[in-house]
Amino acid sequence: MHATIQKDIEEIIGYFKAGEKVFIVGCDNCAAKCHSGGIPETQEMANRLQKRGINVIGWCVPQPPGVSLCKLSNTKKVLQEQYGDQIKEADSFLVLACGQGFHTVLDATEGAMVHPGCDTIFGGETVSDNFITEYCSLCGECIVDFAGGLCPVTLCAKSLLNGPCGGAKDGKCEVDRNRDCGWQLIYDRLRALGRLDQMEAYMPPKRYSKWSRPRSLTLGDGEATFSSLAGSHTVVNHD
Amino acid sequence: MSKLRQALESGKFVITGEVGPPKGVDLGACLHHARELRDKVVAINVTDLQSAVMRIGSMVVCAKLVEQGLEPVYQLTCRDRNRLALQSDLLSAWAFGIKNVLCLTGDHPALGDHSDARPVYDLDSVQLLKAASTLNNGHDMAGHELEGKPDFFLGAVVTPAADPLEPQKIKMKKKIEAGARFFQTQAIYEPERFEKFMNQVQKLGVPVLAGMVLIKSPAMARFMNANVAGINVPDSIISEMEETRKEDRKKKSVEITARIIRQVKSLCQGVHIMPLGWDELVPDVIAEAELK
Ligand code: SF4
Ligand code: SF4
Repeated sequence: MHATIQKDIEEIIGYFKAGEKVFIVGCDNCAAKCHSGGIPETQEMANRLQKRGINVIGWCVPQPPGVSLCKLSNTKKVLQEQYGDQIKEADSFLVLACGQGFHTVLDATEGAMVHPGCDTIFGGETVSDNFITEYCSLCGECIVDFAGGLCPVTLCAKSLLNGPCGGAKDGKCEVDRNRDCGWQLIYDRLRALGRLDQMEAYMPPKRYSKWSRPRSLTLGDGEATFSSLAGSHTVVNHD
Repeated sequence: MSKLRQALESGKFVITGEVGPPKGVDLGACLHHARELRDKVVAINVTDLQSAVMRIGSMVVCAKLVEQGLEPVYQLTCRDRNRLALQSDLLSAWAFGIKNVLCLTGDHPALGDHSDARPVYDLDSVQLLKAASTLNNGHDMAGHELEGKPDFFLGAVVTPAADPLEPQKIKMKKKIEAGARFFQTQAIYEPERFEKFMNQVQKLGVPVLAGMVLIKSPAMARFMNANVAGINVPDSIISEMEETRKEDRKKKSVEITARIIRQVKSLCQGVHIMPLGWDELVPDVIAEAELK
């Protein structure tokens, strides 16, 4: 999921010109789970902005339940079919979702003025209803197998691939003594699995061209094509 | 050939020192500290934005040392440069007459004075050693041939008091396979623990210089114990320092360091002394440790 957190209300208010007519859009998937842009938060944002003198002309969290705002076809349909008049009237949109959802609204409104209501902070695992944390940095070429499935790119503050730096103390990382050293976790896991030999093998530098931006994925019949600065490569998903 | 390499290959007990470049362009004090080490040490490490604090670069100070007939060990970290800059800086360093390189990961920017900086770590220390070895062989990392190749003597660091030790040992082996020909260690205060470490790594056959940091006060020792990974100053040393009057602490510091050196010198191939500003004490340490 894409984890998000609402921006400070003062920062949001700072976007709007006097009298600007604002329509607020939330997301019923990730942003709802992050309590940053579900139905209650979007409605509450409308109230809070109105109380502060902002001209909010409406709000919505596109349905069906649980759908992602970043699904352009659905967002476009809901906004145009159910909120057509408000969409036309609005000077701008405030989006309570991640940067992808934000851009989806830009696309769905054919280029209207869109303001981000959230900071997009990481892609994470929903460990519980109230804790989400990051295990993957979306690097474009997964190398976690050698590390017993724990990602050194993400769990090590320096993304080291060949073992720990000298900075860990009592299993905690040098950047923050409350945070586990990723390499301590990897070492413990490989030892438990009896696979420390995998830590002994040299890991070559990562291909950061696969982490270039923007990247894209094109889907065809039984195949997918990933495009980055490392080039395009197509994978067939069947024999 | 680098003098450090010559000395280590001849089997001599080697002493290296260290200076830290200043924040600013006035190199006077830094070069003065380095000159104090002339004829006392074989080579002088020059730190690379130590503790992730922005300063004048390691390469320029190394080049100044070469100019003055001193032998530098160029510390190069992966923190601030991608693979293009690392390789390019290595070539530039060679052009300045710098022959020894200590390849390091580097402290994270979050610990320094520009904590919002983007950390680079395009390579890690093992990959950097390998890249430098590749340059030594006349190619860059992409496989292109060099016009004129360097011949660096490459070193790396290891933390003998790390807990657990095994990941350090695994990485040490990888560093050797990637081209490390000498090691300098994190500061040692427990000779017995160091002996255990050396017993385990002696067979790797690469010279190890035991790190020595002069303790300036009990507060400094306690600070290192609490904050610096892989450093354990035993209580006995802290109380020795506590029982010493302020004006006698330099003498005491020399005595403690010399004693540790005497205890470890049969175990390793040299010592790396990091005086952290107390450079004038290095000759006394060497004399008291009976190294000359
Ligand atoms: S290696 Fe890359 S893709 Fe795999 S978990 Fe880590 S960041 Fe994600
Ligand atoms: S302490 Fe561990 S997690 Fe932190 S940077 Fe070093 S190896 Fe990575």
